[in-house]
Amino acid sequence: MLTTLQLLKQTTQAIYPLSDEDWEAFSGIWKPLSARRKEILTVAGEREKYLYFVIEGVQRVYYFDDQNRESTLVFTYAPSFGGVIDALMLQQPSRYYYETLTPSLFLRASVFDLQLLIETRPAIATLMRQGVTVALSGVLERLVELQTFSTEERYKRLLQRSPHLLQLVPHKYLANYLGMDATNFSKFINKVKI
Amino acid sequence: MREKATPTLQPSNNEIIMKEINQKQLLETLETRVESHLTQAIHQFQNLTKKELLQAATDGGWSIAQCLEHLNSYGDYYLPLIEKNLKGADNQSENGSFKSSWLGNYFIRMMEPTTGKQKFKAFKGHIPVLELDAYAVIAEFIRQQEQLLDLLKKAEKLDLNSIRIPISITRFIKLKLGDVFQFIIAHDERHIQQAMRVHKNPNNS
Repeated sequence: MLTTLQLLKQTTQAIYPLSDEDWEAFSGIWKPLSARRKEILTVAGEREKYLYFVIEGVQRVYYFDDQNRESTLVFTYAPSFGGVIDALMLQQPSRYYYETLTPSLFLRASVFDLQLLIETRPAIATLMRQGVTVALSGVLERLVELQTFSTEERYKRLLQRSPHLLQLVPHKYLANYLGMDATNFSKFINKVKI
Repeated sequence: MREKATPTLQPSNNEIIMKEINQKQLLETLETRVESHLTQAIHQFQNLTKKELLQAATDGGWSIAQCLEHLNSYGDYYLPLIEKNLKGADNQSENGSFKSSWLGNYFIRMMEPTTGKQKFKAFKGHIPVLELDAYAVIAEFIRQQEQLLDLLKKAEKLDLNSIRIPISITRFIKLKLGDVFQFIIAHDERHIQQAMRVHKNPNNS
């Protein structure tokens, strides 16, 4: 079994390999955190104080407004980074919520520690830039799917990319993420075979 | 998870003396059980086909959707009522303990699958119809379980002894919130087990 730090290292190296010395500094800023189901870790209107690394469980970033409109923007699960990344990097109040959808385990690093490393270690600045760019790439891909694909195609794409989510997350969140209502979603459960 | 016995379970003798138990421990045990009920609904039930969900049991008993609809009808009654009663409730007693009432304990033992083997007829207002929107029933069940988890969390700092909730079948009887939580969750367990039996034994009806 990989330790949580080894998992972080593996994930980090795949984005941008760090020297031993940089890894030493980077790995030193993470602390474990466990959360129960449906705990809100980041509240809209407040600053994002942490970068998360998911060890276990599923979480989501979502938009929610005073007209009760809700939009699930991103799911995070192991091994990946989580939190409201734009608010974190821009140091602005978050426009979104970050909450757990299942009991979860994380490592998390405070934004102060992270910023200090970004400012003093070029390799870590590059690592962060790479990481954020990969995330941006994923967001653009999703925009294409939302604007171009039929609901059935979107459902199939989700099955290809993250089939495990169907057994881990209540379907209402998946339907919302795909921009369809729950009734539509349940039709596909009967129609589309995994 | 089931090997964890509910803390209030007493040996079956007629002169039961209700034991004081640690409230925090009780809530944690209950939370673990609700978590496992939720996991079952999310992992299994919501991924079944409409046919599987509406299929009557081999003995002519309820379908999976009917089992969950039956539980929803209890949630409809209890969850908003608990929510309301948590507001402005007394804080936890100094030693943080909870003590079941005799009647509360009786109802829990009757409902708990491990101690109450007897079958019951569903009460009026809790009998599920045959034709159901199966996925809407499951979505509502999941929503209610999420709400129940939230209520267990909110109750952590409150006194489970002093909050009293009238029971659904007769509003003249009120039970302590700690007993109501245990009763609801034992009842959930009973019918989720029933639904799982239908799921595992679907053919030959």
